[in-house]
Amino acid sequence: MSDLLLDALQPLLNVLMSEFLLDVLLVSGWVLTGHVALFHLVTLLLVLAGARRVWRNRHWRGVEGHDETFASPLTPAVSILVPAHDEEAGILDTLSAALGQKYPALEVVLVDDGSTDRTFALVAERYALREVTPRPTADLPVDGEILSVHRATTGDPLLVIRKTSVGRRSDALNAALNHARHPLVCMVDADSLLETEALLQVSRPFVEDPDQVVASGGVIRAANGARTDRGTILEPRLSRRWVVRVQVLEYLRSFLLGRTGWADAQALLIISGAFGLFRRDVVLEVGGMDPLSLAEDAELVVTIQEHLRRNRRPHRVVFVPQTVCWTEVPESWTVLGRQRTRWSHGLAQLLWKHRRMIGNPRYGPIGLLAMPFFLLFELLGPVFELVGVAGVLASMAVGQVPPAVAGALLVLAIALGVLLSATAIAVEELTYHRYGRGRDLLALMGTAVVEHLWFRWAHSWYRLCGLGAALAGRSPVWTAMPRVGFSAEPAPAERLVPVGP
Amino acid sequence: MTALPGPVLITSTAVTGLVVLLLLSVGGAHLARRRRERRDLARRAELTPLVYTLLDGEQTAASLADAPAVLDEVVLHLLPQLRGNDRQVLRDLLLARGVVDRAAEQLSARAPWRRGRAAMLLGATGSTRYTPDLVTLLEDRSSDVRSAATRALGKAGDVAAVPYLLASLGSARPVPSGIVGMALLDLGTAALPALRSALESGAAPARATAASLLGLHGDLPAVAALTTTLDDAGAPTEVRLAAAGALGRIGAPQAADALARATVLAVDPALRATAAEALGRIGDPDSVPALAAGMTAADLRVRTACADALASIVPEGRARLGLLGASAGPAAPVARAALDAVSADSPRALAGAR
Repeated sequence: MSDLLLDALQPLLNVLMSEFLLDVLLVSGWVLTGHVALFHLVTLLLVLAGARRVWRNRHWRGVEGHDETFASPLTPAVSILVPAHDEEAGILDTLSAALGQKYPALEVVLVDDGSTDRTFALVAERYALREVTPRPTADLPVDGEILSVHRATTGDPLLVIRKTSVGRRSDALNAALNHARHPLVCMVDADSLLETEALLQVSRPFVEDPDQVVASGGVIRAANGARTDRGTILEPRLSRRWVVRVQVLEYLRSFLLGRTGWADAQALLIISGAFGLFRRDVVLEVGGMDPLSLAEDAELVVTIQEHLRRNRRPHRVVFVPQTVCWTEVPESWTVLGRQRTRWSHGLAQLLWKHRRMIGNPRYGPIGLLAMPFFLLFELLGPVFELVGVAGVLASMAVGQVPPAVAGALLVLAIALGVLLSATAIAVEELTYHRYGRGRDLLALMGTAVVEHLWFRWAHSWYRLCGLGAALAGRSPVWTAMPRVGFSAEPAPAERLVPVGP
Repeated sequence: MTALPGPVLITSTAVTGLVVLLLLSVGGAHLARRRRERRDLARRAELTPLVYTLLDGEQTAASLADAPAVLDEVVLHLLPQLRGNDRQVLRDLLLARGVVDRAAEQLSARAPWRRGRAAMLLGATGSTRYTPDLVTLLEDRSSDVRSAATRALGKAGDVAAVPYLLASLGSARPVPSGIVGMALLDLGTAALPALRSALESGAAPARATAASLLGLHGDLPAVAALTTTLDDAGAPTEVRLAAAGALGRIGAPQAADALARATVLAVDPALRATAAEALGRIGDPDSVPALAAGMTAADLRVRTACADALASIVPEGRARLGLLGASAGPAAPVARAALDAVSADSPRALAGAR
């Protein structure tokens, strides 16, 4: 009886199922279109706000008062914290750049976090280190064992802490925070080169408004390909590797425009771990770096802002777009993939931990603007993109969406993406113009188009993997990035790397 | 979705056109900038020697009145580095070329950056003629302009601006305290009487700034007022902190008792640590018991500050540190570390010996 009924209803079921599937495909197409449109609209607003701020800053160039800041007795001393794990390729350059800062009072605290290479030996030899009794000034929990503490005997204000590694950068930073002695702490990656006036520029907001500024960050740029000498960038150049070029462009978009726009909206969520300046007392107040976070830099900024807003304490998180720290970015797809997966996993951790801030007016622009944006477009963006694209392809396959429509939408999405990149390049050229060679500029323009052929999709995939890892509750894994180091001239063997992940 | 292609194609074409236009503009701007930079460099190379001949008295300001505009940049770059007659000569040149008058007109310009740059230029010339205009800009709607006017008032050197600068800290459109502090420092010791008054009767931000600056000036007549401020448990913590730091900078032994009380009895660990640091700067052996008592504090910052202070009181403080280092308890490692840092073979001592 039931079989007969089923047979009778089968045509109806088929119609219903096919209609349901078609509806699903139609909805997925609209969702993708809506997501792309909304993302580009919000990003365009951000970019315009950022460009406006950068353009305004351009008018003030030369009268910022950096010399006054340098000479002022009100300028607070800074401890530069450098966590290092197997960084022999570039650690001496990084230390040269940090110790060579034009700044009235600073110390560098290097944490050798269980290096298995010659990181410590190189530093010990160059700075004639001598072991001293540890003098912690704070007692943040540190999981790794502090093996020894050393000071330079060359007259350089350098402190080196040797500790066992627990595989987390945050643990090394907490050890450094415990031994730092100055009111401001600057966190710098061990593969990064600060420009000579970087510290002076990024500390200026603290000098000018010591009561409210709690954190400030500067622009990070890719050092790969640049000509360097003992920690100084002699000439910024664009690497010949496409994987590096797309990151250069991505950093330009993100730092020059995105973060400037967020900072203008009082909603800056991230200060890069490669270069950020914080008030030490506030960092200690919130318990230092979160030991389990994979995005410890963003985590610190959000935690500080949540804490201060909850306690109704006025504060400002500032972004200084003219300040530059040059860092080494991944040169291979494998390493880039690992890095981006980790970032996405870290972002998921962060948003989950601070979920009550999302959409909460109590937390101001951070809760109402930045966190929903990061949830919808940064964390869930790849889901929308990949599922949406799959939906459009399926719709094309069943003939629901003509290829012309799909093609037109794809072209529009790419054109909008290129427009954002072109705006970033234009702002860079009209304001800071770090790349003096015309060919670098041309290569950047080419990259703006080329990245949409593969990087965008590969990037979405990595982010999806990170989200998957977070949803599966996988333990956070902090993977070390292989270092190439900084060289005086680009490596002779460097060749144009073929397009493709 | 089938209805989409038309509008989408039009939008795509428009966006693509915009991209092409933008990229072409970037290329053009790049070429133009390089050409302009080369030209400016050549002009600067030509004009800089002329400015030196003017400073040597071989030329008059009038002879350079019609020189290209790049000359103004050269002069404005040199101006803050010069003093006395040389500075006056360059000021006269800027006046002769109409730069100062144009800047004065720009103080009411619509664009904030024009008002701000004009204020900075007038400040750099060191003229007090425009003080009232610059004081008006302390209430400007743009925070950048308010900051620029504050800096300019400091550079101009007119002490009459001190009350306005201090008032700007508590205004409805406030100027950040660091900028006001730098401007007041630029005004030098002539600002001290106003700072002493502000310490006793101003609003909290003004009092804290005044206390810090009095300390930086090493102003002995302010010690009594600073001590009273430190002892006043009802005063805001930021003001008491600034007072403690200032007393340490001045190094007045008569403040040692008040600082010792703050080291032992204050509730806020930051205030206790700052007071201990100040005692270390003063170096009074009578402070040793208070600092030793501070070594039992629960907060590591306080213990460290007390240990460092004891290490700087020779020989009484170091002797007490030796005893504390040999004892059991939380003070011992801090005491040993402080002694190690000042021992004869410490890295700092070694570096100094080189």
